[in-house]
Amino acid sequence: MSRTISGDWHNGVIPDNVVMQPGCYVETSYSFHLYRSRRPRGVVLGEGCSAYIGCMFDMGEQGAFSAGRCTLLNGLWLICDSNVSIGDYGLISWNVVIMDNYRASRDAAARRAMLQRFAASRDPAALAPVDARPVSIGNNVWIGFDCCILPGTVIEDGAVIGARSVVSGHVPAYAVYAGNPARFVRCLVKEESRAD
Amino acid sequence: MSESAANQPVWDGGSLPAGVVVGRGVVIRGTAALRRFRSQHADGLTVGESSTLDGVQLSVGPQGRISIGRFCCLTNAILMCDEQIKIGDYVLIGWNVVIADTDFHPLAPAQRVADALACSPIGKDRPRPSVECRPVHIGSNVYIGPNATILKGVRIGDGAWIEPGSVVTRDVAAGAHVGGNPAKPVAPQDGETV
Repeated sequence: MSRTISGDWHNGVIPDNVVMQPGCYVETSYSFHLYRSRRPRGVVLGEGCSAYIGCMFDMGEQGAFSAGRCTLLNGLWLICDSNVSIGDYGLISWNVVIMDNYRASRDAAARRAMLQRFAASRDPAALAPVDARPVSIGNNVWIGFDCCILPGTVIEDGAVIGARSVVSGHVPAYAVYAGNPARFVRCLVKEESRAD
Repeated sequence: MSESAANQPVWDGGSLPAGVVVGRGVVIRGTAALRRFRSQHADGLTVGESSTLDGVQLSVGPQGRISIGRFCCLTNAILMCDEQIKIGDYVLIGWNVVIADTDFHPLAPAQRVADALACSPIGKDRPRPSVECRPVHIGSNVYIGPNATILKGVRIGDGAWIEPGSVVTRDVAAGAHVGGNPAKPVAPQDGETV
């Protein structure tokens, strides 16, 4: 049974292997226009999680993405060919790119061969994942506008990433990072959770 | 290069305007692609064989010229051109990349006031002050990651790798690997910069 969204401007469907838990919201099926995941649960959106109009799930056949309870995906551009996870109560702003691979080899000859295969087949799978490295983002993480989260990055619970930052590597819990490349700014004081 | 065959739609937004010349197998997707194409040159936009422009927006002024080589793949990039943007062959450009060969507005404060007035709804017939433009040249085999910005006058050499989110304000040598704001050379491995 194909799922559609009432009032959707785009004439598409939510793919069958996208799991939407109760109270979760997807604004438009266009967000799945580049979606090719064949994993049993390609996308899992938790209870009260929302994916607004700027989101794009550009996912390859082996891609799997999850976002937890009440996580807000305002404008996430996801490039995912392995695993990307975001915990509960996350805040992801406009034009944030989270990528688990570059979809291009560092070797120029390999890039040329890939572009020739793509032009011949017009198959997006020809833009093959290269060394996909999972990205893990904990609970209660806030990522500001226009950030890029690069392959292999781990962001722990409670961290904040300032607008336009480019993050690669490891961000510890409750740290504030900002800049391009992103650097440590300060540590937040961990309070009692107000989620409930 | 040849004009597109009439029976093969190159662009899903309609027929190509005058001044757009594309090679065999070119695909342009997205109705906004050429909405702001105003070049008066016969070669205002040339796209080489087998290149793909998916969701790309081209804003080209009357004197602007954009040339894109063969086997390029651009996804949701924005190219703003008042003079010249030249892109080689086998270039990969990621989502939300901005390439501009102009500053759009003058630097001097009084000139900016005049420009703001000329650009406003009440300043229709006022001439705009001149704005500095310098061509952007991007070589072949270049990779430009998502959210990167390439500013006016920049030359990027063949085979360079521009990290996602970079702001490129100066020339990049052939084969160089740069990242950051402003973009600088980074270690040849995936930067564990945090």
